[in-house]
Amino acid sequence: MSTESSNNEIYGILAEVRNPKELIDIARTVNKNGYKKYDTFSPFPIHGIDKAMSLQKSKLGWIVLGHGLLGFAGALAMIYFMMVYDYPLNISGKSLMNIPAWIPVTFELTILLSAFGAVFGMFFLNGLPRLNHPLFTSDNFKKATNDGFFICIEADDPQFEPDKVRNLLTEAGATQIEEIRDDS
Amino acid sequence: MSKTYEYVPEPALVKGNHDFSSINSLITDINLRPTPKGWYIAFGLSNLLLFVLLFSIGYLIWEGTGIWGLNQPVGWGWAIINFVWWVGIGHAGTLISAILFLFRQDWRTAINRFAEAMTIFAVMCAGIFPAIHVGRIWVIYWVFPVPNSMAMWPNFNSPLLWDVFAVSTYFTVSLLFWYVGLVPDFATLRDRIKSKMGKMIYGVAALGWRGSNRHWWNYEKAYMILAGLATPLVLSVHTIVSFDFAVSIIPGWHTTIFPPYFVAGAVFSGFAMVLTLMIICRKIYKLEDIMTVDHIEKMNLIILVTGSMVGFAYLMEFFIAWYGQVEYEKAIFILRATGPYAWAYWIMITCNVLSPQFFWSKKLRRNVAFTFFISIVVNIGMWFERFVITVTSLSTDYLPSSWGYFSPTIWDVLTYVGTFGLFFTFFLLFLRFMPMVAVAEIKGAMPQADPHNYDPETGDYSPQEIEIPEPNKESV
Amino acid sequence: MSDQKTNDTTYWKSLNELAKNKEYKKYAEREFPEDASELTDQVSRRSFLRVMGASIALAGFASCRKPVQKIIPYSKQPEDQVIGIPDYYATSMPFLGAVTGLLVENNEGRPSKIEGNTEHPASGGKTNIYHQAAMLGMYDPDRSRSPRNNGEQASYSDFASFASSHFEDVNRNILFISEANSSPTLQRLKESTGEQFPNSRWVTFEPFGDDNRLEGANMAFGQRLRAIPHFDNADVIVSFDDDFMTPSEHANSVENSRRLTAARKVRSTDDSMNRIYMAESGFSITGGFADHRLRLKTSEIEALVFALAGRLAEDVSGLSAFSGYRNDLTGHAWVETLAQELLDNSENSLLSAGQHHKPSVHAAIAAMNSALGNIGNTVTFHDLPHQGNESSITAFADAINQVQAGNYDTVVIIGTNPAFTAPADLRFSDALTNVETKIHLSEYVNETSALCDWHVNRAHFLEAWGDGRSYSGELSIIQPQIQPLFDGVSEIEFLHTILTGDSGSGYDLVQETWDDVFTGDFNNLWEQVLHDGIFAESGFEETNVSLSGNFGDEISPLLETSITDGIEITIKPDPRLFDGRFANNSWLQELPDPMTKITWDNVALMSPATAESLGLPRERSFSSNDVPVVRISAGDETIEIAAWVQPGHADNAITLYAGYGRENIGRVADGVGVNIYPLRTSNAPYYRPADVEATGQTYEVACVQDHHNLEGRDMVRAATLDEYRENPNFSSYESVHGYEVPGIKEAELDGDDNLAEGGPISLFDEKYGPDYQPQWGMSIDLNDCFGCGVCTIACQAENNIPVVGKREVKRRRIMHWIRTDRYYEGDEDNPGVYHQPVPCMHCELAPCEQVCPVAATVHSEDGMNQMTYNRCIGTRYCANNCPFKVRRFNFFNYTKEYLTTGDDPEIIQMAMNPEVTIRFRGVMEKCSYCVQRVNRAKIDSRKETGSRKPADGTVQTACQQACPADAIQFGDLTDRESVVSQTKMNERNYVMLEELNVRPRTSYLAKIHNPNPELT
Repeated sequence: MSTESSNNEIYGILAEVRNPKELIDIARTVNKNGYKKYDTFSPFPIHGIDKAMSLQKSKLGWIVLGHGLLGFAGALAMIYFMMVYDYPLNISGKSLMNIPAWIPVTFELTILLSAFGAVFGMFFLNGLPRLNHPLFTSDNFKKATNDGFFICIEADDPQFEPDKVRNLLTEAGATQIEEIRDDS
Repeated sequence: MSKTYEYVPEPALVKGNHDFSSINSLITDINLRPTPKGWYIAFGLSNLLLFVLLFSIGYLIWEGTGIWGLNQPVGWGWAIINFVWWVGIGHAGTLISAILFLFRQDWRTAINRFAEAMTIFAVMCAGIFPAIHVGRIWVIYWVFPVPNSMAMWPNFNSPLLWDVFAVSTYFTVSLLFWYVGLVPDFATLRDRIKSKMGKMIYGVAALGWRGSNRHWWNYEKAYMILAGLATPLVLSVHTIVSFDFAVSIIPGWHTTIFPPYFVAGAVFSGFAMVLTLMIICRKIYKLEDIMTVDHIEKMNLIILVTGSMVGFAYLMEFFIAWYGQVEYEKAIFILRATGPYAWAYWIMITCNVLSPQFFWSKKLRRNVAFTFFISIVVNIGMWFERFVITVTSLSTDYLPSSWGYFSPTIWDVLTYVGTFGLFFTFFLLFLRFMPMVAVAEIKGAMPQADPHNYDPETGDYSPQEIEIPEPNKESV
Repeated sequence: MSDQKTNDTTYWKSLNELAKNKEYKKYAEREFPEDASELTDQVSRRSFLRVMGASIALAGFASCRKPVQKIIPYSKQPEDQVIGIPDYYATSMPFLGAVTGLLVENNEGRPSKIEGNTEHPASGGKTNIYHQAAMLGMYDPDRSRSPRNNGEQASYSDFASFASSHFEDVNRNILFISEANSSPTLQRLKESTGEQFPNSRWVTFEPFGDDNRLEGANMAFGQRLRAIPHFDNADVIVSFDDDFMTPSEHANSVENSRRLTAARKVRSTDDSMNRIYMAESGFSITGGFADHRLRLKTSEIEALVFALAGRLAEDVSGLSAFSGYRNDLTGHAWVETLAQELLDNSENSLLSAGQHHKPSVHAAIAAMNSALGNIGNTVTFHDLPHQGNESSITAFADAINQVQAGNYDTVVIIGTNPAFTAPADLRFSDALTNVETKIHLSEYVNETSALCDWHVNRAHFLEAWGDGRSYSGELSIIQPQIQPLFDGVSEIEFLHTILTGDSGSGYDLVQETWDDVFTGDFNNLWEQVLHDGIFAESGFEETNVSLSGNFGDEISPLLETSITDGIEITIKPDPRLFDGRFANNSWLQELPDPMTKITWDNVALMSPATAESLGLPRERSFSSNDVPVVRISAGDETIEIAAWVQPGHADNAITLYAGYGRENIGRVADGVGVNIYPLRTSNAPYYRPADVEATGQTYEVACVQDHHNLEGRDMVRAATLDEYRENPNFSSYESVHGYEVPGIKEAELDGDDNLAEGGPISLFDEKYGPDYQPQWGMSIDLNDCFGCGVCTIACQAENNIPVVGKREVKRRRIMHWIRTDRYYEGDEDNPGVYHQPVPCMHCELAPCEQVCPVAATVHSEDGMNQMTYNRCIGTRYCANNCPFKVRRFNFFNYTKEYLTTGDDPEIIQMAMNPEVTIRFRGVMEKCSYCVQRVNRAKIDSRKETGSRKPADGTVQTACQQACPADAIQFGDLTDRESVVSQTKMNERNYVMLEELNVRPRTSYLAKIHNPNPELT
């Protein structure tokens, strides 16, 4: 398989398990053993795996808040500039600072900017888009988007030693283990 | 008060015994297998209608707004009616994906994907009308705050301008929401499709998604936030659309009940449209296991509720007109029911208020054929609701001397019919090239996805034994 | 070239808006002599030379012609001519044998707007629809452009040479047929034709002339005298079918309306009003204006008049001819009431009858007027120098029979169009075939021209020299405003050619006549008259009249009245097209009929009951333009025409308007409506029995108002004089609704003084705009408005409002900026009627402004709601949100269609007002309070006084200036002394839809009736 053929430096070791529960278990073991640079893969998000992997709370919320405030302030500033400062007009005898009429647009722009924050922030945090990845070299890994459940311990983890990792994963009940090489 | 409630589990979301990969192929095979002939025929027909749309818009730009039936006093006709109608339909998608998501209604996973698709295409159809109904289409961009030769800015007091922002925001956010949901499924397709070309395209669309749980972690957060944002948004959009009328001073328009009433109406028509499409798709694409009768029933319940809300709003308008004692308002509502447009008014009442009441019967709301029929009736009714609101109020307002009757021309009709061409062209492309059910989400909603459903020792799949009561015995 | 460019810009500065129009660009570039050589298009070149020529010529006071070439360049600018500043020249419009003094606005020598001449009694500064529309009439590209010999184009010199040879033989039997004309010059030439051609005969033919009136006077007093009513002196006015406020029914309508309404003005509860009684068959605007109206068949009116005379004979001397007379109507309630009224108001009452009634009726009226001592006070009789002493109708009939018999070898027809308008039984067209030489002078190649060997194209009165007498006899000179666009000649030049064989100049001919008129320095007086537009103190002498001895014998055989049983048709000239001579004037065609609000058609008017008896619906469907068609047969003639239910019309009677159904006249006139002249005969020209039946077909009619009932709403508020005296505030919101305007109390509580005041004056109490700015406002007195519609046409002329045509009107897309709403009130068979002119209200809190997404309509500092055409994107939201529905949308490119039809659109384009932007497709437009006039006045006053506030009265809106009833006041509300402020302070002042708190700047004064307690 690819492990033999290519002599590039090793990216990490990929192990497959049968189902979500085993993925949680194996993730927990790996985490306990002090590995930092590892990741688990599944076709859908799995309840409780965050604890197993002891993931930090996502920072996405802050990004969205920042964008939301930007949208809010930006909208008010824009309307003020256009309606009051730059080109004031007598419209239906209303006062120039006709705040109630500004609410809808301000609201919409706040939402819009927040949504941008949420989506692009999420991709940013995930380091996406990234069109290629060493894992894609593994044919078996294709199952990760179907019904496969994988864990991969990466080579640049400080305590990464291929044999120890192999043993750990086998003991933890991996059904199949494979070495991923970075062919870039 | 010692009444004990016991947990009545939802009926299974997915019927038949499927595992992840069978579900996976059930849905994605539709995109992978060669295009069926029927699709080409349908696509050809919708393209024909699309051409009708393009032609009537071309003629409109060439000749002028006069080709429509508009007059003094009725300055808004089918264009605005169709706009509100399509936008209304466009509310179901985001509602299903956002609000039901926040309420943890997992059954949404079966339908949210193409409900969202429907939303986006419906909003596209809607968006056309405000753009082309103006007298000088070529300067429509002046409604955006862009610097121009006159150094003028748009008027932020105008509900129409609020509309511009509301609808464009709604479209953008729905699109993002939809796409975020699609990313994992694009990845699935990328990994399943054989052709190099396909791999390339889906690969790019999937942005390199690989199902990492570190990613899922942010992803779920993002999805939750988007749902949280989309919920007030979806309510605000039709509220603002209703402001087009409610903020004016025309009797029958100038009504504070409009925002809730419009939103209810939007959900009403949106769900009806989803049902219409869903009932066709599940049949053609054999998705009965995923889009089950239980789904249909749940949606019929929502139709029953929103339909009754709309009916209540109709009554309320009359009550307030009487209670407020404004002679012009009283007159307009009496004229609606008895005047020159009574025919439209009673079509509206029949379709919107009476027809959903059939769904009090469990038998009927679980009857697919009947549901299909009602879903179409409801959408006809909702079109007439907008007709009644827009036209009758204008045609008989304050000064009797200025009263005038509106009748549409062939171009009003063709433009409306044409938008179906646009809608179905896009919808067919969607069915063909994108998974019409959110694969990842539905997998996540399957019992197999729950770690607790596995034997702690052997690690084999062993779901807790809870007997699922026969839905028919339940009175939901 | 470059300096030309600069010229170009400076030269056309005032026209730069117009220059936006492509045609105008072309036109503008042609204004330079250097370019003149490059000109190819004959017509436009000629017209351009004329424009320039006339502009300079007119600049010279006497406006005598100068060689054209010298005056083309403006490099040497004539003094008292500033480019961009219009000049005004006096002239007068001849119509039905009387002239009305006018003042014409000229821009760079291009007449563009007609106003009334304040110096002239017939006008008093006011105008009617015909005067206003005359401007478009002159610029009508369909007018005949050259003489024609047997249909072949010819030149005037051809005609002259023909004339000189043809009329050499002075013993020819020549028949001259002329329209009624008061011109002394024409009179002079007419006499010389009599001398020069001993065997010639001159007859006057007007299809709807006042011949019966003259004959009536003749019967009563033994002289053909013109009765001139003085409505301002009358306390009681009894009109028997005399629609004297409608231009088509009375040659002096403007003065009549002016005097009548002036006498009815109510400024305070102390003022008194005259009382008007009207008995009529159709529903006329005069009838609508009257305090009491009686619907009678035309043939019953006669009986009513005699019955009244019979009743009066009991109490006053001088009516012996009627003593003991009784007929079917003697017992009628009105007879007694009228008798009482007239006796109580003897010497201050006024009776009159419609010109379509028999001479005997007019005689009876005259007898009653003299018996009641009204003559000399409310009515005066005058001898007409220009009137023959034979009945022109009988004379004409007789002459045509002579023609029929082949007793004439030459017929010269001047102006009038008998082939279309002559009574059918005279078979005029056949008669002409027995004449070898037929010559016709007319503005259009019309039905008569088609039958003649020679057609000579006539000059419009704005193009040619002439003169005439007002209805009351004052002499005026008709001063040309521009050289003839199509080389036309005036009737006097034409006659001169016939007499002498060479083409004379109208200028000399008129001066020749006036040589005898003036005593003293000719030139001074001449210039004085040109300047004033009238020769003062030249009115008719009043003739002292007394009943002729044999009056009794003459009238008694005629007292045998015959009331038609069954349906009777009455044929009247169309209120807008008159006898058809204005049929090619699209402004008039598109002006909604004052009562029916129909455009572009004539219909058979009948009462709801009559409609029912014919098996037709009593009401028209709101959702369709289709109306049933009826077949009307009288004698052996039959026409099919759309039936129209006219509430208040006499039962078993049908009114038909003549003047429609013309063919091959012009783009506008052709194929509009139905020609009803075939139903006229010489012995029953005005009314006769007829058979009517429904055909079952329907016909689409373009009516601009589909709902005729106020639905109990308060747009129009009215009271009787007594009610007004009891409760002067009857028209306030509180009196009408029984409670205050919602929100006022609250406003008072939070000390919002804007609302607290209430009433119009609060408009400026709230310091609306900056102090240095005026605040414009308008008030419209419904007590004066009688619905003539002249405001609409004046506005159309001033503001370049396009005509949209029947199809678009049918789709309710008429563009008029000021419309007249007409509401019926009360009994459907015999309703009262209200007319309410509705322009933009210029609301201070304008609902239209806030909804425009691009801020295309906003408020100006001087309180006007303004449209920015080039910013408008056409969402129509403003029109939707306008509670008064005064906004008009360009659904198509109306102006372009309107201004670029035909081969030489430059001609019609010249009728446009250079001060007003032409609107393009897809934009909204509406009344601007004539902002161009306002701003000119503001600029002037700022130059002169340094203040932006023009003195009161210096700004007049077009509608206000034209209104013969002075119903419209416009001015600065910050000036409490201004007429408009004063008017708005009147108790009767109210605004429409006050509860909406949009604060309209246009307000109304409630209508006041003065009914007779006896009859109510």
